[in-house]
Order: sequence, then C-alpha cells, then structure tokens
Amino acid sequence: MSDGSGTADTSETGTERPTAIVQDLFVVATRELRTIVRTPALVALAAAFAVSVVGVAWAGTGGGGGFVPLTLDLLTFVEVLVPLLAVAFGYRSILGDRETGELDVLRTLDVTRIAYVGGVYLGRALALVSLVVGTLLVVGLFVPFLTADIPTFLAINAAADSGIRYVRFVVLSAAFTLVVLAATVGISAATRTVRTAFALATALAVALVLGIDTALVAGLAGGLIADNGLAALLALSPNSAYRGLVLSSAVGVVGGADVAAGEPLLNGFGLLLWWVGSLAVAVWRVWPAVESVAE
Amino acid sequence: MSDESSVNGESQANEGSPVSEEPSADDDSPTGEPSRAADSTALRAESIVQSFGDVDVLSGVSLSVARREVAAVVGPNGSGKSTLLHVLAGIAAPDSGSVSVEYQRGARRVGYLPQRPAFREGFSARDTLSFYAQLLDGVDSEDVDATLERVGLGDVADRKVGSLSGGMTRLLGLGAAVLGDPSVLVLDEPGSGLDPAMVERLFGIVGDLAADGTAVVVASHELPAVEAHADTVYVLDEGDFLASGSPEVLLADTDTASLSAAFLEIIRAQTGESTVRAGAGRRSSESRVGHRSSESGVAEAEEVPTDE
Repeated sequence: MSDGSGTADTSETGTERPTAIVQDLFVVATRELRTIVRTPALVALAAAFAVSVVGVAWAGTGGGGGFVPLTLDLLTFVEVLVPLLAVAFGYRSILGDRETGELDVLRTLDVTRIAYVGGVYLGRALALVSLVVGTLLVVGLFVPFLTADIPTFLAINAAADSGIRYVRFVVLSAAFTLVVLAATVGISAATRTVRTAFALATALAVALVLGIDTALVAGLAGGLIADNGLAALLALSPNSAYRGLVLSSAVGVVGGADVAAGEPLLNGFGLLLWWVGSLAVAVWRVWPAVESVAE
Repeated sequence: MSDESSVNGESQANEGSPVSEEPSADDDSPTGEPSRAADSTALRAESIVQSFGDVDVLSGVSLSVARREVAAVVGPNGSGKSTLLHVLAGIAAPDSGSVSVEYQRGARRVGYLPQRPAFREGFSARDTLSFYAQLLDGVDSEDVDATLERVGLGDVADRKVGSLSGGMTRLLGLGAAVLGDPSVLVLDEPGSGLDPAMVERLFGIVGDLAADGTAVVVASHELPAVEAHADTVYVLDEGDFLASGSPEVLLADTDTASLSAAFLEIIRAQTGESTVRAGAGRRSSESRVGHRSSESGVAEAEEVPTDE
C-alpha cells in the first residue's frame, strides 16, 4: 500500500502500552501453537522428522558410540532437515493471514506489528524448537544405555565424550532452528503470493544447505576468496556458522587434531545477524505504518 | 439535508452531506420516515487521493457517514471501492487526504469485513471469535456468544470453520467485524457470491447494527439489497464519485425504477452513452450527479450529456 502523506486516525499504531503489546503477542503465539497442533500436515511432518532422527541415530554409530559420534552423525542431518522443516512451518505463517483477510481484520484491532510478528514467530518457534530439541534429547538418552563405556556427564575435557557436549549441540541446534525459522517468517511477511513465498523459501533452504557453501568452495578454489577471509564468510552462512559452532564447542578435538571451525565469535554474530535481520524485515514488511491523524 | 442541488455546483461532491447536518423535522426520507442519516458524523474522509504507480485509484473523494447510517459505495469492478474501504478502515494510508473516526462507543473504532473472509480451518466459530476478543479490551466470552447470536451463528458456534458454508463464513467475518461494538463498520462486498436469501439476511443484520448506532459503509454489487437497506448511495467510478444521494433520489434523478437501472444510467452518462436527466427542476436537493473532482480535490461539474 501507499507510504503517502495521507492520514488516518482509525488505527492506533505505535500508541499501545508495552503490557498490551506483550499480552497481544502471547494471544497470537497461542493461536499459532494451536494452529500447528491442529494442522495434520505439520503434525505428520514433525513425526517424520522425529522418526528420521531416531532412525539415523539408531542405524549410525551414535547410540552405541557416544555423544560426540552421535553429534557428528546428526549434524549434517539437522543442517539439511531443519531448514526444510522451517520452510514448512514458516512460509505461510503470515501470508496465510494475509490471504484470508485476517491480517486486515487484526489491524482494525490495533494490534501492533511487533506484537503480531512476534506472536507468530514465538508460537511457531515454540513448536519447532520443541520438536527439534525434544527429538535430539530423546536420541541422546540412548547413549548411556547403549554405550559400553558410560560417558562422564560432568567432565569438560577437550578430548572427552560428554553429555554436556551433546547438550551444547542441542542448544546450538535450537539456535539454528530459531534463525532459519526467522528467515522463513521474514519471507512470509515480505511476500504477497503463495507461489512467491514458496519459491523464495525453497530457494533459501537450498541456499542454506548447498548454495552458500558451494559458492564459498568455488570461490576458494578459484582464488576469489583469500584463506584469511574464509572465517568471516563462513560466519555469514547460517549453516556454516552453526556447523562451526557445533564443531568447536560440541565436538572439539577429534582424533587428536583440532577441528577447523572458523571463529566462534564471528559464527555467533553471523547467526545473530540473520535472526535480527530476518525478524526486522518481517516487522517492516508485514504491513505499512498508517500515520495517526495530524489534526 | 444537503442543499447541494446544482449539477454545476462548486462545492466538494460531499460537502454539505446529509450526514453532517443536524437532524430536523424536515429530514424525512421520501417514504416519510425519519432518515437514519440525520445523526452526528461518525466517519469523515476528506479529499482522499490514492495511486498505485501511474494508476490513480482514488482522485480526491470525500464522504462522511453518520451514526445509524448505512452508506453504500457502488461502482463497476476496478472503480476503487476496495481501495476506498481500505483507507476508511485505516488499513491503508492515502497518498493525501485524511480519515477520522469522530466518536468511539465500544472497544474498537472500526470493524472490517474483507471481501473474501476466511479463517483457520481447525478452529470452531467460537474459537475464532474468542481469539479476536482476547485482543480487545473488555470483550469476554459472553460477548463472543452474544456476537455469534447476533449474526445468526449461535447454533453452529462449535462447528469447525472449515465445515461452514460460504454464507456462514461471511457471517462469521461479520461477527469478527462487529465484535467490540465498533463505531464504524466497513464491509467489502458482504453479499458477493451468496444466494439472495443470504444476501437479504446479511443486509438485514447490517441494518440492525446501524439501528443500534453503528455507522456502516458497505461496498456492494447487490443493488437490490443496497436499494432496500442503504440510506445513502455513492456511485464510484474511476476513483471519483459520479453521484450520491438516497436511493429514492437517485431513482428520481435518473427517472428509473430501480437502483440497478439508475446505476447503469449514471455510468452510461459518465461514458457518454446515454443520459442522466439532470434538469435542475427535477434534481433533488439530496443528490449530486455528474460531479468530477479536480486534481485539487474540489469537485467540478461535468456537462452531463442530455438529449433533452
């Protein structure tokens, strides 16, 4: 719509009290959670993800090999499946309300953009993060029962296999999930048709899983990227940043050699940048501000 | 009522609107009943201009709607009705001009029914309205149930939205729009695609809401229903009002027997295909036919083709 100079005092955009914004945010988040639970396709997808993770852990070396082998087994799997799940959970989250006209109705209720986008994101994030974290934790529970040498849960040693390392992996996976979900919610807010949203969200998933890393490898091979600039570029890719953080903090020394995992600080900053940027785009694009009347 | 009687008048198309004047004993409609339009102004839009790229969608339209008034905006497809309603509902900011809601009576100022309302299918009608109620101060579950009864969905309150008929879904949309007793109700094509009985039922509810004090703006192609229920009709084409007035007056001015025929006459007159009988002696003081707004938003009269 227009960003024109006209005015309308039919909306109270920007005038709500913070408590009202928080209250509205939780109302919207609750509806999102209930929507996901009542959407059979998403429930089926969630079940498929959970079964797949358990299957990978069970079939691989994970269950019988300790926490670090399990983490390495699941790392690539999470890198690929979480972006796809995020697309499924997020790409129509806001666009759906736009299509049905509910977005317009919500605007007449003086719901702020922050409350609406925040609520949609929070509700979807709670569902998706619960799924990812819950599944990974359940799989992690297999390790003590299946490993001959019971791991030292409280040890923090660079070379030790430890439950704490696995918890780090789970926490980082949750952070990665939040970032890629934010990106798809941003796409959902910024697009106006299902086709565009689906195409962009799919392109995002492909770029995250394959595209950015492939481009970096090609850049390195072609001499376009200097070795000393690689860490910063890796941090700009959510997948690379996540992988780097997992390798540096949850895997550590493998086979007596340090893992080249980029700069943890840069990787953390890269993920934060994607998260904040995506949500900022979502808030900015969900609907235009309508100025209060100047009279 | 308006004293705007000349097709060559220089005032804004809606200046001196019937809705902005104090009620008086002379404010009777042609049927002899006091007009609901004779009440205080609830919604005022002035010189609304809206463009999308190079396309001018609204060219400086103005209107005001009183409490208890049903104002209908009619016009061909693409005439700018939905854009105007978006602006009136506060959903879109105009390029220039202003919209103001001049009184508040409930928990919200404007209620809006989109053209094709739809809701999340896994929720019941009651769940759906309860969600909206939680976003409104002072609106509780009793209000939700009362609203469902008000729009005729009390018996299907617990039915999933996905199993509601098109008409029921529209009624649920109306329920979402009226929840919280808005001062102004903006309805975009509420009868579109519905059978005549459902259209009549829906417009009947709209009439009841207006009688309770709501100012209603409705865009519609259901001209028989508009003729039966609207107090004021605005004919919009190419982003400007061609005519406005009560249905009875538009009929008299165009010498037609139905609002549908009057509408066609007004549109044809605009395109030069036919005639609007615009003799000053016949023109009612309540209608204005053939106005076009200038770029400054001030109405200028067009010569209305006549074969007289």
